[in-house]
Amino acid sequence: MKQVVVTGLGAASPYGAGVVAYWKGLTGGACAIRDLTLIETEGFRCRIGAEVPGTLPGSPRRTRADRLAIAAAGEALTDAGLGRRDRETAGLVVGAVGGGMLEAEAWYWRDGRDGTSTASPRTVRAVLPAAHAETVASRFRLGGPRHTVVTACSSGAVALAEAAELIADGVVDVALAGGVDAVTRICYMGFNALKLLDPTPCRPFDRERRGMSIGEGAGFMVLESADRARGRGARVYATLSGHGMTTDAFHVTAPEPAGDGMVRAMREALRRAGAAPQEVQYANAHGTGTPQNDRIEARALARVFGEGGLLVSSSKSMIGHTMAAAGSLEAIATVLALEHGVVPPTANLAIPDPDVPFDCVPVVARRAGLTCAISNSFGFGGQNVTLLFRRGAA
Amino acid sequence: MTSDTTRDAVAITGVGIVSAAVTGNSAALGAFLAAPAPPPDEALGPGAMAALVEPDEARRLSRVCQMTVAAARLAMRESGVAPAAGLGLVIGTEFGDLASTHAFADGFLARGPAGLSALLFPNTVMNTMVATTAIAVGARDMALTLNAPTVAGELAVARAVAAVASGRVPAVLAGGVDELDTVVERELAYLGLGAERRGEGAAFLVLESSAVARARGATVLGEVSAAAWRALPTRPWGVGRTHRSRAITDALEAAGARTDDVGWVYASASCDEARDRWETRVLAGALGAAAPVSTLGRLLGRHAGLGVLRVAAAAWTARSGLLCAPDGARRVARVRPGRGLVHGLARGGLHVALVVDAA
Repeated sequence: MKQVVVTGLGAASPYGAGVVAYWKGLTGGACAIRDLTLIETEGFRCRIGAEVPGTLPGSPRRTRADRLAIAAAGEALTDAGLGRRDRETAGLVVGAVGGGMLEAEAWYWRDGRDGTSTASPRTVRAVLPAAHAETVASRFRLGGPRHTVVTACSSGAVALAEAAELIADGVVDVALAGGVDAVTRICYMGFNALKLLDPTPCRPFDRERRGMSIGEGAGFMVLESADRARGRGARVYATLSGHGMTTDAFHVTAPEPAGDGMVRAMREALRRAGAAPQEVQYANAHGTGTPQNDRIEARALARVFGEGGLLVSSSKSMIGHTMAAAGSLEAIATVLALEHGVVPPTANLAIPDPDVPFDCVPVVARRAGLTCAISNSFGFGGQNVTLLFRRGAA
Repeated sequence: MTSDTTRDAVAITGVGIVSAAVTGNSAALGAFLAAPAPPPDEALGPGAMAALVEPDEARRLSRVCQMTVAAARLAMRESGVAPAAGLGLVIGTEFGDLASTHAFADGFLARGPAGLSALLFPNTVMNTMVATTAIAVGARDMALTLNAPTVAGELAVARAVAAVASGRVPAVLAGGVDELDTVVERELAYLGLGAERRGEGAAFLVLESSAVARARGATVLGEVSAAAWRALPTRPWGVGRTHRSRAITDALEAAGARTDDVGWVYASASCDEARDRWETRVLAGALGAAAPVSTLGRLLGRHAGLGVLRVAAAAWTARSGLLCAPDGARRVARVRPGRGLVHGLARGGLHVALVVDAA
């Protein structure tokens, strides 16, 4: 099995375009959750979310999600210094959920209301989640294996795990992978219908937490075999030493109450990495801010690492739940935490929940000499993923 | 991803199909393929699911989830594999549970926020079929939903083969599913793809290491010796000019096969003329014109389940030396039994190749 390293990062986050803005926002503890402007919120209890500000690259005729993907993927490829020849055989794995739904909804709403509207061919073609991979592959001329994974809120992390397997199995030496989602009406309305949205910015791990905040964005990494990266003198951010993917097989929305599936994912990541639990110093948690999810994740973390065994924080407290992008944006945060020796905080955390037996780094970022960290992502359908990173080239 | 020839081949030990033309296991599929007849209607009849799912599931699950669960159970039953030993799940789909997505949106359009259904919302995410199937069969290992135009079923099988071949998981239930949808039909017609014959249904294979399957006394219905997926250069939704197929080359190489070892091909032609011509050129470029080609798309209508069904059909052809006529006619040709190829090529350039052998 080949070692897999991270040689490029790209982000389009609610802080704006670029990894620099993303890391500055996270470590500054800045909450980017505000009033939603992209969709109508009239009549709903929660009317806030975290949108990506500013102008996006790519033609305005492309879907918003495609343009988010182009921004983050392009930055990651440039950061890694991959030339055209490198890209010809590079793999591509994209995690996506909503596809071009934001634009398709606008058409469907008009069609549903007056029955006369016809979708543009571009809208129809771009609605599927797989459209992002086609767009990114075409734009950056990526010719290796390509696939699109849909595992709900863990899609971005699964994409990274899938790319790592392509490299570890020797199918490709380099791959671009990540997740993307734009805000959509269906996602916003659905979580409202489930009463899982906090009308104020979410407060993961707070005793008074009331739910999540939705967000949008894209996060991509260039993953590469360690030998190849070393051979071309590439900058190595971190090593993706292990990952675990499991399924609860319990309920379509609710996590299994004892966190068994989450525990199996974390233990599988440790096993693959050959790491002992005490080596892991930080967990970038899934940390949605719903009462149930945070409690079960904390329970699962305690079963694997022991109570208080590591620092825990939730990026969603600042950028919301960016759906398919969440797993990859949070993996980038984990890699940067290792690189800079700084743990991003959990914003809006005022009253720690006694059922969460960890230091959740409230409000202010913390310096910590990290060498090993995990990023957890969980999704509807009990789809659990843990990524384990080590600092630099292990 | 390619399976490695130095590792054990991947065995097919169970088949499950729910479609308008054939429903059942590998025996039902073999009987259908030996005397193929197009179904009178591409859609499953309204009562078709009643005998296949529990009354509670019929009440709780959407129609496409019912199809998925039913086909998955048929494959598990034929295989006899034990989920507790480690079972992964990979499902390919082009459109997911679109009917539930329409219903969810229509609820809002009719009644505003009060019309939104919390029960329908999870079905708007494409992994809803994986979620319900994992619960139904007890699959607790890796579980993936793969979204792709045209080749989602073939891609799901190829990904599952790689997972078994690499030792990632002892067994994988790999399938594909899609249902007919009036909005999709209307919009595809608007795009000029109305000539494509579409169908609906679900199909699953149980894939496991050949050595493990034989050790537990399972009947091996066929073997996937190698699988690969790659991308040919073209614009999104486009039909490309490149004929050189790395997927076929890499799959054959991984299987230790030469092009003239391929006795027959199941291709993904479905009456999208530009795409079908491209696939014909790609196959000719890789294999020459010698191998007879069948496509069940014209017989059964294209959907993600069909890609999986074609792998099951390839195992049948490898055993029997019989191949359905490519034009959807009720004819069966004699071909060389043994090694063949399943190939899929989508607009946008994603293509998949699987080398299938008799057990």
